[in-house]
Amino acid sequence: MGPSQGQVMPIQAVRRTRWWYAFLLVVAGVFLIRLFYLQVIRYSYYHHTALSDQLKEYQISAERGTISAHEGDGTIPVVLNEKLYTVYADPTLIKISERQRIADAVVAVIGGNASAYVKQFGTTGSRYQILGERVSAANKDKLLGYKFSGVGAQEQDYRTYPQGDLAAQVLGFVSNDGNGEYGVEQALNKKLAGAPGQLKAVTDINGVPLAANTGNILTQPTQGSNITLTLDAGMQRQLQQVLAQQVPATKASSGSALIMDPNTGAIKAMANYPSYNPANYSDVTDPSVFTNAAVAAPIEPGSVMKTLTTSAALDQGVIQPSETYYDPAHWTIDNFTITNIEEDGGPGVKSLENILNLSLNTGATWMLMQMSQPGATQASQINQKGREAWYNYMTNHFQFGKDTGIEQGYESSGTVPDPNTADGGYGPALDLTYANTSFGQGMTATPLQMGAALSSVLNGGTYYKPYLVDSVTDASGQTTVTRPAVVKTNVVKPTIAPTIESLMEGVVAGHFLHFPSQYNVGGKTGTAQVAKPGGGYYDNEFNGTYVGFVGGNNPQYVIVVDVIQPHIGTYAGTGAAQPIFVSLANMLLNDFNVTPKT
Amino acid sequence: MTYSSSLAMGRERAGASFGRNQNAVSFRRQDRKLGPISNTVLLIVLACILGLVYLTQVTKTNAYGYQINNLQQQQTALQNEHDDLQVASARLQSLDRVQTSPVAKSLAPAAPSGTVHD
Repeated sequence: MGPSQGQVMPIQAVRRTRWWYAFLLVVAGVFLIRLFYLQVIRYSYYHHTALSDQLKEYQISAERGTISAHEGDGTIPVVLNEKLYTVYADPTLIKISERQRIADAVVAVIGGNASAYVKQFGTTGSRYQILGERVSAANKDKLLGYKFSGVGAQEQDYRTYPQGDLAAQVLGFVSNDGNGEYGVEQALNKKLAGAPGQLKAVTDINGVPLAANTGNILTQPTQGSNITLTLDAGMQRQLQQVLAQQVPATKASSGSALIMDPNTGAIKAMANYPSYNPANYSDVTDPSVFTNAAVAAPIEPGSVMKTLTTSAALDQGVIQPSETYYDPAHWTIDNFTITNIEEDGGPGVKSLENILNLSLNTGATWMLMQMSQPGATQASQINQKGREAWYNYMTNHFQFGKDTGIEQGYESSGTVPDPNTADGGYGPALDLTYANTSFGQGMTATPLQMGAALSSVLNGGTYYKPYLVDSVTDASGQTTVTRPAVVKTNVVKPTIAPTIESLMEGVVAGHFLHFPSQYNVGGKTGTAQVAKPGGGYYDNEFNGTYVGFVGGNNPQYVIVVDVIQPHIGTYAGTGAAQPIFVSLANMLLNDFNVTPKT
Repeated sequence: MTYSSSLAMGRERAGASFGRNQNAVSFRRQDRKLGPISNTVLLIVLACILGLVYLTQVTKTNAYGYQINNLQQQQTALQNEHDDLQVASARLQSLDRVQTSPVAKSLAPAAPSGTVHD
């Protein structure tokens, strides 16, 4: 008969049970206390230790935006991104017996010198030796396929230029630290670079984020914007070829040229000689070649300025298009004498056509005299009124002395002398300085500033901001097209444009330049003395300049050419800059849909 | 009293004193209770089972994370391939390459010789 309900367990069994229960509680208690100690009291320490091992923080690079240019009705890429690899070795992981074998394998895949690699593998105190840079993915895979211990590859984005050196100085390049230098790459670095993303996550041993961790932070990168330039690739390529052929022939140190649309301010082509290949920027020994001189290197423009002096005088009404005046062939101002080149024929009655065709410095000075006092016949009549009037046109109408805001690094604003101060190196010869500015000396301007100013006259009086960026497409695919921006209206009256065009066409005809009769081509040469660093001018150094237009009923393209210190035995403007203008004008007429006269 | 009723009475009595009628079925009611040790062990086992369930879910989620990671790697590889092809295409169409191509060399320059007016 066994125990039934109500009967009590034997005392010993109960005691045993209780002892075992107490023992179990003690053991559980020990565990609990230990767990409490580890997970509560020592929480910070173990949490920190675990995170330092498991928590990985990655920056997710944003892809830099691409740059395109126009080509006919479409666009072509001029700057793209390419993923290439840096192959490296960790000398501490390469056994001595393996060095030669690994070196031979590396030479077979990426080239180089085996003994140099062996030497690198033996470098003490280093865990990172670069074996090759810009290695293609295929070669990288081939090399890593050998599974050599201590040899690895790092992925890196590089800019690539499928069009070679096209528009090199306009584009600029991207340095190793990922920043744009010079050109559009610098000016629009923030737009092109985008914004990096971030991944902060607990990872496994292979670095793969664990999705179950609710504390993961993932911020997607904002990819860089893609940019389309206003440049026409075909026009740009031909412009560069013309400069490369003709600037060296003049024994000049350098040259620049640009072609722009005078009715919008869009730059269609812009180049300098010498140039470089931005893909190999690190091989360049003279960093001055990185500079886009067309926007960054102002020079005294010389007689090309006379087109603007004439425009200003006509606009003020102080001279008339058909007016003539007596030119004594010299003016004495501030004890200095202004003269002309000997071919200008000496004193006599001259017209506006003569002033531009013969490039009369005395004629330009005469226009400044009229701005001072209409009807003036003496250079001594140049006064503050005239200086201030001309200064107003140079700065507030033609925008000299100011940045244009073009999308380029290192733009220079040039200089315009103050009309009311004798300081700044001009001394008491302020009238002489201002007389000089009327024919493009004593002030400095970039080719871009000259082109934009002339455009504002030829299009009827609107100064458009010159620009290079046609459109920007952001990471979301939205495209923003640049609209021409008006900086100033009423630069000159609309009636001035036909007069200036006619005068400039007269210069082209006067230089015996022939173009098809269904088009209008006009221009003006400039031969500017080169200033010495300490003041004054060199006797035998000149810069050659040319400004001109090509069109039908209205100017369709404006061309500006600068040739720096050519040595050709004739006037720099006529002998060095003018032939380049002629080549470019013919190129435009032949290949770029210039609308003929109706 | 019938035979069956006497059996029933006998069953009732058996609840009070078991053993006299060996042929009767015993319907003793007895409350089963778990002892403290069993309780504790059972709690521990339940906690372990909950922990296992949690681990299973976490592992499943992390497995999806691996799949996502693989897909992202595939996407990156395809994007890289696309970029490489774009670069190769641009190089093949470069102006310099076109200019020196056999086709371009056989072309003659076309200068405008006149304008037709309506």
